[in-house]
Amino acid sequence: MEQSGTSTRLQAAVQDLASGVVSALRGGGHAHVVPPVGTDGEAGDLALAAVRVLGADALLPGLLSRTPPDPAELAVFRKAVEAYPPRGDAAPTVRWSHWAMARTLRRADPSSAEPPHEPDTAWLDGATWQVLTHQLAVLAPLALPGEDCAVSRLAAGRPVDVARGFVRAVRRRDWRQAAGAGRWLTLLPGVPDTVGLDTGLDFVELMGGQDPLVALQVQAARRMRTGARG
Amino acid sequence: MRTDEKVQEVTGIQAADIEAALDPAEAEGVYRDSRQAAALALLSGATKLLLSPPTPRPKKG
Repeated sequence: MEQSGTSTRLQAAVQDLASGVVSALRGGGHAHVVPPVGTDGEAGDLALAAVRVLGADALLPGLLSRTPPDPAELAVFRKAVEAYPPRGDAAPTVRWSHWAMARTLRRADPSSAEPPHEPDTAWLDGATWQVLTHQLAVLAPLALPGEDCAVSRLAAGRPVDVARGFVRAVRRRDWRQAAGAGRWLTLLPGVPDTVGLDTGLDFVELMGGQDPLVALQVQAARRMRTGARG
Repeated sequence: MRTDEKVQEVTGIQAADIEAALDPAEAEGVYRDSRQAAALALLSGATKLLLSPPTPRPKKG
């Protein structure tokens, strides 16, 4: 399907931002990955939209390393949350993505407003394991250690389905979905050992890791897996 | 003027562009020969070497 110029530029900006997050995650610490709020013109506006698309993961390095966010980064993140609220008819993933950003904002800055009520998970009621895995992969920023929400509880009730979805995504060479599902699997209880998650994540990185959005999820999964073991 | 309206004016980015990016359809699957996939999956521990290249195939036509 042909994409508009705007869509292409937005995707490129999201990839740039994701690359910065990956670098920070690989470095094991926090780096400034969100452009400062003073960035002028189209570049700054595009970056703001990119922060909204990458969602809560834009602040992931600091969140995982428990490092207070840079005030300038936080200002951009807050601006993205405020500038792009979900529309009334927005898809569930859009609403959940925005909710995740609001939650992250609250974690990073307790003086921020309370996140709104959680959206519902009715659209996943009775979802096939294929649909469930796809939707969870899109919502991978919700997969965080110690962070509870309706989506994570639903995922925790279907570890075998997510494992099946991970294997399917690998076989379909859908590396983004595989990486997102792999991130969820690092957190879910009851994942069968036969999945071979560590090797699977290595394989996903090897085959799809040149895509920053894949690399981000793989790095996040590894960081969370290491943390869970430590 | 709201912030999002200003952003749209400058960049042409619509809320629909962002929402489309946040609600992507599942990517088309690209299946390959399972033997090739199995060979690629044979990662050699820490070195991550591929132990077995895919079997050469005759060119079509």
